[in-house]
Amino acid sequence: MPNYMLLLYDDPTGWTKLSPQEMQTALEKYIAWSQKATSEGYLRGSHRLAEDVGKVMRGAKVTDGPYSETKEILGGYFLINAANYDQAVQRSLDHPHLEYGGTIEVRQTHPMHGEE
Amino acid sequence: MISDGTGAATSAPENVGGSVEHLFRHESGRIVSYLTRLLGPEHMDLAEEVVQEALLKALQSWSYSGIPANPAAWLLQVARNSALDAIRHRKVSADKEPALVAELTAASRPLRPYETSPDAKLRDDELRMIFMCCHPELSPEASVALSLKAIGGFSVREIARAFLADEGTIAQRLVRAKRQIREKRLSFDLPSGFELIRRLDSVLEVFYLMFNEGYDAHQGEDLIRHDLCFEALRLARLVAGSSVSAPGVHALVALIALQTARLPARTDSVGDLILLDQQDRSRWDDRLIAIGFDHFDRSITGREVSAFHVEAAIAATHTRAATPQETDWNLVLSLYDQLLQLKPSPVVALNRSVAVARVHGAQAALDQLDKLDGDPALRNYYLLPAVRGQLLAEMNQRGAAVAAYRQALELSCNAPEQRFLQRRIDQIREADSG
Repeated sequence: MPNYMLLLYDDPTGWTKLSPQEMQTALEKYIAWSQKATSEGYLRGSHRLAEDVGKVMRGAKVTDGPYSETKEILGGYFLINAANYDQAVQRSLDHPHLEYGGTIEVRQTHPMHGEE
Repeated sequence: MISDGTGAATSAPENVGGSVEHLFRHESGRIVSYLTRLLGPEHMDLAEEVVQEALLKALQSWSYSGIPANPAAWLLQVARNSALDAIRHRKVSADKEPALVAELTAASRPLRPYETSPDAKLRDDELRMIFMCCHPELSPEASVALSLKAIGGFSVREIARAFLADEGTIAQRLVRAKRQIREKRLSFDLPSGFELIRRLDSVLEVFYLMFNEGYDAHQGEDLIRHDLCFEALRLARLVAGSSVSAPGVHALVALIALQTARLPARTDSVGDLILLDQQDRSRWDDRLIAIGFDHFDRSITGREVSAFHVEAAIAATHTRAATPQETDWNLVLSLYDQLLQLKPSPVVALNRSVAVARVHGAQAALDQLDKLDGDPALRNYYLLPAVRGQLLAEMNQRGAAVAAYRQALELSCNAPEQRFLQRRIDQIREADSG
């Protein structure tokens, strides 16, 4: 079964308006999604990206991060498996990131040699 | 290779949703208190900012990795680092800098055997914060708002909703309170001796007000208001478990716990009010009742008898009755007699009249109510005519009862209360025609 990257973008300033309790509620929803995805066996991994701007390299030229001009930044990703794009999208539709105004980009990864 | 970042969350399935209830709120209060001690009360805003940032980092990071084994320690460390950053960026006066950096850095090294545990220290900071936020130099309303914000981890919007006020008003109130703390140089030290007694009274008054703000039935039912009751209970228990506790603190904890225990039974599924004698007592919260009686026992160790003691005793008497019929009304009435002496107020007198009706009959109670007519404090208080209506109905004076309920409907009360009064009127009319 192919793997899909769920790339989570959001506008980090949107979160600053939440109260501690609202943040905790949001966190609980994110974790509940991961737990469900784990128990149903399609979550392969996840990572939060550091909050700095990162580095961009072009040839030997290294510059600071790419997104100073955009409001939405890539905050992290989940890796899931699914039969096809339809199912991958279906499995992402109930992700709380969407409820909190974020964007999810779904991309299929190429299978590695020897992988099904 | 992608690591399984969800491990921490999935290994503890009993923590669905993750965390300890209100972890963010409570840790926020603890760390704000800790940083306020370090940075000084004049930098309370900075302490709040730093903690808000730490919570945000936790939200963003734990959303992917799950909740760490010790979330409180994680938050404290991140907040410390952010505070160090703020100090380095000169948001705090330079003469304090070396000492602060030393303390914030030292805090993360392992504990030496003779040192107080960090947990006990944080509790102590929270206690000091309570005494500062509830300082008698501040108005009680400002103290309630400030305590909820700084120690309770409530947002301005949440406080505004609970108070049925607008956000601007609450924000203003907080700004003014913090300015007063700065200008009057209110200290973060725990008072002692006679000063402690005076300051403790002020703390208890604020908790009582916070509790009533949440409990008061004629302000409508909203879960955020229940949160106020629970926050008042949490703070009162924190003081009760500290070195500065006194019998009066236990009495207040008992009162709040016993009253809060009834919240689940106080409204029905559509949000309508259910009076004490109609409540399904199996829905009272046993855990809170146990806490209430435990503190009630501890409150009667001293010689002091405060209004909190008597109010707690009244609540305890109601709680002890398995059915409304088993209520010891003679005891309730004598407790109200005591309360009226300690706290002479027309509202207490009105409540007392209900006990009078149970012991001496409705007519005796009506005679009491007549004395309260024209009291300016009760002029717009719908419960005065509502109680009269109830008593008249018991005496089968249906026409007069309906008139009294109608009068109550004209005074300010919320939608559930209006429905309640209307229902009483309808019941009396049905009885009339039937």
